[in-house]
Amino acid sequence: MNYSQSIRDAFGIALVQEAKKNKNILAISCDLKNACKLNYFFKKYPKRSFEIGIAEANAIGIAAGLSMDGFRPFVASFGSFITGKNIEIRTSISYNKAPVVIVGTHAGLIGSDGATQSALQDIAVMRSIPNIEVFQPCSPYDAKQILKYVCRTRRPTYLRIARNEIKEFLDKKHFFKVGMVNEILKGSNILVISSGPMVRNCLDAIKRVNAKNGLLNISSLKPLNERLLIRIIQKYRKILTVEDHSIFGGLGSIVSEIVTKYNLKKQVKIHGINDTYINSDTPGNLEKQYLLDSDGIKKIIQNY
Amino acid sequence: MLKKNDLLNIRKNILNSINHADSGHLGPSYSCVEMIYVILKKYVNLKKKFRNKFILSKGHAAPAFYAVLDHLKLLKKNELNTLRKFNSRLQGHPDKKKLAYVDSGTGALGQGLSVSIGYALSAKLKNRENYVFCILGDGELQEGQTWEAAMYIGVKRLKNVITLIDANKFQNEYSVKDTLEEINIKKKWQAFGFNFFKINGHSLKDIDNTIKKCMNKKINKPCVIYCDTIKGKGVSIFENNNKYHSIKKLSTEEYETAIRELSIK
Repeated sequence: MNYSQSIRDAFGIALVQEAKKNKNILAISCDLKNACKLNYFFKKYPKRSFEIGIAEANAIGIAAGLSMDGFRPFVASFGSFITGKNIEIRTSISYNKAPVVIVGTHAGLIGSDGATQSALQDIAVMRSIPNIEVFQPCSPYDAKQILKYVCRTRRPTYLRIARNEIKEFLDKKHFFKVGMVNEILKGSNILVISSGPMVRNCLDAIKRVNAKNGLLNISSLKPLNERLLIRIIQKYRKILTVEDHSIFGGLGSIVSEIVTKYNLKKQVKIHGINDTYINSDTPGNLEKQYLLDSDGIKKIIQNY
Repeated sequence: MLKKNDLLNIRKNILNSINHADSGHLGPSYSCVEMIYVILKKYVNLKKKFRNKFILSKGHAAPAFYAVLDHLKLLKKNELNTLRKFNSRLQGHPDKKKLAYVDSGTGALGQGLSVSIGYALSAKLKNRENYVFCILGDGELQEGQTWEAAMYIGVKRLKNVITLIDANKFQNEYSVKDTLEEINIKKKWQAFGFNFFKINGHSLKDIDNTIKKCMNKKINKPCVIYCDTIKGKGVSIFENNNKYHSIKKLSTEEYETAIRELSIK
């Protein structure tokens, strides 16, 4: 599969395909349907689409009501805005176990729009709320596979969808299973664990370092097949986690919690955004500045 | 049939359940109990599968909801005594996962009207003529999300949401007036695109007739019913006394006064 596509486009197109088979799928927008790629759905299924306006809290409640009556609504906005509505997600969705899919786009190093628009704490927030599954596709194909699963289940879900354009690196044999982790590169020295668009950068970085380093993608951040993860971790000397998210509460925390819980005695280095807001710049320059491009990640691996 | 005397017994059960739990929101349960009673007795048949919905957005009035469920014989015998207990279906605030009659869990204020919209849109998508009844507190109107929802209902003319406000004039700490005075409330709702009705929220007849009016097919706009109520209504020492907003165990004297006043004369 030799093509490039943004993860959000892959999501938006896959949603339309799934909606053809599943009539319960609805789309709910908060004045950002073009950016969040719900526009394809709105165009194809106008009667199943709802524009709520710039009112994310209301949109969350509306989605909850629709879902509790049998529908599978996808409510989308920028990840920073939608997951910022913590109490609404907590009470109207999670407490009710309302099967809403919350889609947060524009996560990580989004570019010149800067700090307020970029989701950097969303994984930490969402995984701390009960009853919610948290997924983040690492490539366009992964996005499609995750969408297939999400459209066949009725659990509250958070989808973290990046806007990054990714050159597809998974092959057709790849499939998504809830809880699953996939070892993209096998090794024995450092295990680099990543999620979302950073997986691609890690892959490029590792290939440029001459050592037996492995790469693990975690798309299913919650729930997570801990046994599978432990088995892989145990083959390696130490661990490096790489994420376009705060170093608090995200992927690095997930891995550290498991290493501690099962007393795996492995060193874990967490590489991500250091408890700060990002700057405005192009996504490429931002990746460079925060050492999250392949050069930066390569440096981190070499100095580890 | 709607019977005034039913309310005496329901109020007694609210009091007993809270007293048994040693905590609970008494005043705000007493102010909206007639509203819940009329809605559940006449307009929302909780036993039916495809039915109208009821959302108690002011979830702290859960004891009133539970006592009406008990009156409708939807709870187990003595279940009211499990209020606020571990693993009880009757949690401090309504829990949909524990009690299936709850159409939405509430308690963090301001969210019920939005969830009501969701149910109302769902009914429309399914071509069902179902209504959603949502009770808000007057203090709760300070939550911004309520107005996001009101804006949507008004603009979209979502007539199958019927909004009721339990205007008991108090909130957790002080009176509404002393907290953030409610000004031009009628004009506010009208400006959002609603028909506004102000009624006596303790009159079963008024509640029933106004709901009927709101459900009339000829009505052109969505409706809000502003129910003028008394916090702690029904027991002289509780009425308009915010000390009884959320209570611990009552003294024997308070308890006996209440039971005496709630007994059928």
